Amino acid sequence: MKQEIDDLEQSMHIQDFLFVIKRKSDHLINYFLISFFIVGLLLSFFYDTWEIGIGVGSLLLTAYYSTKYALPKSNLYQYVLSVVLGIFMAQFIYQMHGMFEMHFMAFIASAILITYQNWKLQIPLMLVVGIHHGLFGYFQYLDFNKIYFSQLDYMSLQTFIIHMILAGAIFSICGLWAYQFKKYSEAHIDLIFNKRETENQELKRANYELDRFVYSTSHDLRAPLNSMLGLIEIAKEDTNEELMLNYFKMLKGSAKKLDGFICDILDYSRNSRMEVNYEEINFSELLKGVTENLKFIGDNNRMVEFKIEISGETSGYSDKSRLTTILSNLISNAIRYQNSQIPDPFVSIKIETSQTETKIVIQDNGIGIDKEVHAKIFDMFYRVSQESVGSGLGLYIVKEAVSKLNGDIKVQSEVGSGTTFSIKIPNK
Amino acid sequence: MDQTTVPAFKKIMVIDDNPTDRYIAKRMAEKYHFAEEIILQESALEALNYIRSLENTPDLLPQFIFLDINMPGMNGYEFLEEYANLSESIRTNCIVLMITTSIHPDDFKRAEHNPSVFRFLNKPLDREKFRLLEYEFSLKE
Repeated sequence: MKQEIDDLEQSMHIQDFLFVIKRKSDHLINYFLISFFIVGLLLSFFYDTWEIGIGVGSLLLTAYYSTKYALPKSNLYQYVLSVVLGIFMAQFIYQMHGMFEMHFMAFIASAILITYQNWKLQIPLMLVVGIHHGLFGYFQYLDFNKIYFSQLDYMSLQTFIIHMILAGAIFSICGLWAYQFKKYSEAHIDLIFNKRETENQELKRANYELDRFVYSTSHDLRAPLNSMLGLIEIAKEDTNEELMLNYFKMLKGSAKKLDGFICDILDYSRNSRMEVNYEEINFSELLKGVTENLKFIGDNNRMVEFKIEISGETSGYSDKSRLTTILSNLISNAIRYQNSQIPDPFVSIKIETSQTETKIVIQDNGIGIDKEVHAKIFDMFYRVSQESVGSGLGLYIVKEAVSKLNGDIKVQSEVGSGTTFSIKIPNK
Repeated sequence: MDQTTVPAFKKIMVIDDNPTDRYIAKRMAEKYHFAEEIILQESALEALNYIRSLENTPDLLPQFIFLDINMPGMNGYEFLEEYANLSESIRTNCIVLMITTSIHPDDFKRAEHNPSVFRFLNKPLDREKFRLLEYEFSLKE
């Protein structure tokens, strides 16, 4: 199965390449055809063959362009081109009353057709030349008037046969080159494709290993840290000394902060590693879980009021773990950076779902963020001020998770009056 | 007042290679009157032998086994493989709980399908977790 997909992808690359060649060739052909038409007009001066120069010339252009635009997906217009170039040759020979050099037009046509890298395009040209030479040569041999095939009285059979064999040789050689070019292009693309594919695989594996390393390390770091937290809890219970209790409180604060760092790194690595897993989302349940976990954060024991508003005609479809990461990071920021000057701190969470997208607006009346740094807050390790207590990863993780869900996030904030984050996520 | 409270269970076992974590588990279980007797095992293999030795006296088996995942020698999963082969009398008398620092998605998937595991708990053990277990145990009975 994987092999099939690879093959398909590879042949897609070849097709892409051939398509580019085709487009470029088509472009050049426009100039060639216009030049041929103009040459036809110029030749009309010699023997006053204006009806032929204008009539046949424009008929040929019409045939070519009408096929091309009527059947843009088919290659038929290239075969029409082959015929058209053949007939241009016949036209020029006639216009110059059988001038031998005009036969070279067939070779020019044959060379032009190589550009499409398709040897079969030589066949219609060959047929036109064969029929034209045979018919006109024979009519001239029969002494028909105004056939103008050759400036000789007639072309002897021997000359005619040699003429046709040489023409055939040229068409065959041009066909062979076209075939060779195509083969070579294909082989070359295969080579490049395979090389790139191997490099890609290697990069992916290295990336995966790095993520895996970060994940395992962070995971292992948490084990002793949690033992420490457990010990602090026990130790706190075993003393009544004010000073000791204060130390334990500080120890616990530091350990929690370290744990927060590690959890952030875990969140980040989980987000980059895990496939997006779409499922139906019950937002009120999701928010209940998130707010439950965030109840006890923040140093001052002031309760922040949660104002939750969920509306919409449909339920959301998205990735639960990423939504949890996004919401808990934004809500915990709102709680952490509340404005102590304001008596009623709140965080309002509005979620609106529609058929196409989910809108999430998280608004607080906290300390706010200076407009000048709005552009930087989503950067990795950026911290707004010295008082920032986090790792500087929170909003970066939020942005990464939102972009994994193909959504976007905007911030509006003013120092002293609060912050609003608006998120839009497509409803898959 | 603490002394008057009757422990919820007679006997539990904690299998963890980390002495600090074993100590915390024991202290917490004592403090919150979760069990009368707390057996500490630092190796899963020894724990397995201990359980086997009680095969004919199921009343002496630990009612809860708190099992750590990452351990040198026999780890938590290997313990579970062996445990699944033990006699019915042992398996019906013990409830196995996996204790981890944080739930690794891979671990979670692996243990979720293991019929021997009753549930996952995050370390460190504390009052809330013991109350939860008591409640769930009462539902089970």
